[in-house]
Amino acid sequence: MAASGKDAAAGQGRDPSAGKTESGRGLSGSLGDAASGRGIKPRLKTVRTGVQLICLGLFLWLFRITDYTGSDTIPWAVNIWFRLDPLVGAVVTLATGTIIPLLWPCLVVIGLTLVFGRVFCGWVCPLGTLIDLSGRFIHPKKKFRVQLRFLKYMILIVLLLSAFFTVQLVGLFDPLSLLVRGMTFSIDPLFNFLVTGGFDWVYLNGPAWLSDLTEPVYDVFKSFLLPYKQSFFFLSVFSFFLLVAIFVLELAGRRFWCRNLCPLGAMLGLVSKISPFRRIPARACKDCDMCRTDCPMDAVNENRQIMTEECNLCMDCLAYCPKGITSFQFKGSLQKNLPDIGRRQVLAAGLLGIALPVVIRTDALSKLPAPDVIRPPGALPEKDFLATCVRCGECMKVCINNALQPLFLEQGLAPMFTPVLVPRLGYCEFNCTLCTQVCPTRALEPLDLAKKHTFVLGTAWFDKNRCIPYAEQRPCIVCEEHCPVHDKAIKFHTITVVDDQNRTMTLKQPYVRQDLCIGCGICENVCPVVGTAAVHVAAKSSMPDTFGSGTSYP
Amino acid sequence: MNRRKFLKQVTLWSAGMLMVPPVFDISPEALGAKTDAAPDIFAAKGKDIPAMVQQLVNTMGGMARFVKKGDTVVIKPNIGWDRNVDQGANTHPMVVTALAGLALEAGAAKVLVFDRTCNEERRCYQNSGIKPALDAMGDRRIACEYIDDRKFVPVKIKNGRSLTEWSFYKDALTADCYINVPVAKHHSSSGLTLGLKNAMGVIGGRRGRLHMDLSARIADLNLVIQPDFTLVDATRIMLRNGPSGGSLSDVKIMDTLIAGTDPVAVDAYATTLFGMAPADVQSTVEGFQRGLGQMDLSRCRIQVFDI
Repeated sequence: MAASGKDAAAGQGRDPSAGKTESGRGLSGSLGDAASGRGIKPRLKTVRTGVQLICLGLFLWLFRITDYTGSDTIPWAVNIWFRLDPLVGAVVTLATGTIIPLLWPCLVVIGLTLVFGRVFCGWVCPLGTLIDLSGRFIHPKKKFRVQLRFLKYMILIVLLLSAFFTVQLVGLFDPLSLLVRGMTFSIDPLFNFLVTGGFDWVYLNGPAWLSDLTEPVYDVFKSFLLPYKQSFFFLSVFSFFLLVAIFVLELAGRRFWCRNLCPLGAMLGLVSKISPFRRIPARACKDCDMCRTDCPMDAVNENRQIMTEECNLCMDCLAYCPKGITSFQFKGSLQKNLPDIGRRQVLAAGLLGIALPVVIRTDALSKLPAPDVIRPPGALPEKDFLATCVRCGECMKVCINNALQPLFLEQGLAPMFTPVLVPRLGYCEFNCTLCTQVCPTRALEPLDLAKKHTFVLGTAWFDKNRCIPYAEQRPCIVCEEHCPVHDKAIKFHTITVVDDQNRTMTLKQPYVRQDLCIGCGICENVCPVVGTAAVHVAAKSSMPDTFGSGTSYP
Repeated sequence: MNRRKFLKQVTLWSAGMLMVPPVFDISPEALGAKTDAAPDIFAAKGKDIPAMVQQLVNTMGGMARFVKKGDTVVIKPNIGWDRNVDQGANTHPMVVTALAGLALEAGAAKVLVFDRTCNEERRCYQNSGIKPALDAMGDRRIACEYIDDRKFVPVKIKNGRSLTEWSFYKDALTADCYINVPVAKHHSSSGLTLGLKNAMGVIGGRRGRLHMDLSARIADLNLVIQPDFTLVDATRIMLRNGPSGGSLSDVKIMDTLIAGTDPVAVDAYATTLFGMAPADVQSTVEGFQRGLGQMDLSRCRIQVFDI
């Protein structure tokens, strides 16, 4: 049984008949049976790559259909990746002190890791797959080689501890959050911009016969690949470089992010220590350095021991082992070596994890009202919202009017990348509840239409110094026309004025009924005043009844 | 400068010249009035919308009067708001499908239905019921498509009084037959929104900027957009809180459709359904002053059909 790997290697070689495959518990062995010993090892790598590509395809498909599709509800669980993410599950549970049933699927990944080890990293994770694919273009430089395995554990400790002390920062380092945000804010808009830009140029400037050829191709692109419309996001540049950095770091060694930084990888690595599914042999041979130099995860330590918590079961070693003696089997002995992190590093991370929440909470920003932090519909009270939101970007991706935008450091570190409504860019569509449907952690509670119609995001107020019927004595009232609330939250006085040329005219001067306004922001969006609108929405948290209470924000 | 450089320069310069956006220059004669002193107004009352549409089109001389074989027909409903059929903020989908069917019967090669919406366009097209109804007809000649921003072209409005240039939707300008299908409803700026106001849905730019002198500018827009006929949907009318409305308590069932080739006369008659006089709607008055049509109902021939 232990020889199955060797036999399979022989089978892959010149003499197929030499492969006498016995049935065994080893993965290569059992697969070997099915393939009757022929070319098993490269085939396993192909299977792994295939699974990776399927998962990446699923990820991209779910990303694309995170949009309005003609129905008021999104039929697919487009947020499933975050619900499968045990790091998100653990941190949010610690930060909120409640169990969120929506996150239970993450137990599947924990279970998978308990049995097979870090297969999620090697076979499933879409970021890992993209990093693997980038290996075709980005080749590590030996002289830049960096090994910082301890760092990912430190990040994990900081995230978990600060979450326990109610400051939740998982979105800054969670690989799926990073990826979805990067794609939402920069890659997807960039892709659309380039493709539509090309077709538009031909359409607008090319001869008619040429655009007759390109427009049908454009229609195919629009139906299957492109987002419905061009979106624009704050932090597009920042998110772009954050994502690019992960790939640039590949110059310092393959899977640099996964080996050294990914807190999800660290967490799954720790869980995988119990997994009985191991690479055999558990040590690198004395006379060969292949395992140490060629392992993409750099999972072989200085004592030539395979560190299970570092191995992502890519199974490349089945193929490159010159002796063909490697295999993966259920040999359930616990490994005694500890993760590659020193006691002092644990201590430092622990202190940081405890200090960070305190430092954040003593920021003066926590005492100021924040009228521009207009949270999406269904948002929990600000404190709970910050503890629950994992900055995954799904709500901003799905927003039908491209109205939800990420915060940067305007409100400090803790709310970075959380969504806010920016009415001048887009308003909250009265009959739309999509963002509340895609939120993976219920930071936005699902709203039915009746609840959505009365959910208060903020309240509008007029700047009479800019508002046209006041400041210019000319008719306007565009805001009132668009107000979706019934009875209208924007009312007006009809007054008669005589202008400088002695013409008498009637003007409608608007005002807001705060008890009716829900703060959707359509008035601010459509206000025809040039530049800053004459009507603004101020966030609920800065409204008079909560202002100054000291608990509203953050 | 060698030959290669010279050719490159010539290409770039001429490309630059080609990239200047064309300004549609419509002759003043075309922008003008061809007013019938005593225009016909037809109204149909009843519940059977397709039959009412058929009756009105027949009395105007049948669809063949307006649509020739192979024509591109634009049907311009009001799809402005993310509201459902009963809320009366958009044109009734059955009016649109009935007209589309008649246009196809008359030999139209292409029937285009579009509106530049106020709420998110996909939601408006869906919730208004217009896109689902047209899609259900299953005819490839019907295109109910969203506005394509590339198709807005600047137009000089030569005898415009308040507006001398604005961008218009190319498909609306180049249509062989343009059928205007507004819904009759209250509007807080212009009093009512009827046929003339419906032209707001085929223009580009920041439309809110028009509101400072809205009625005059609506009339100016109609110097460019001159429908072959207007059919006002007054099956249900919104009495208050227009143009967006949102509550059934604002909606009154009228079971009426009004049609005619004179856009001002049709608007003038539709105004009376609200218990108002034609002169109460300033855009009707401005349209009349520009010679777009007759607003004096006593000079119009009005025929009402009960169906």
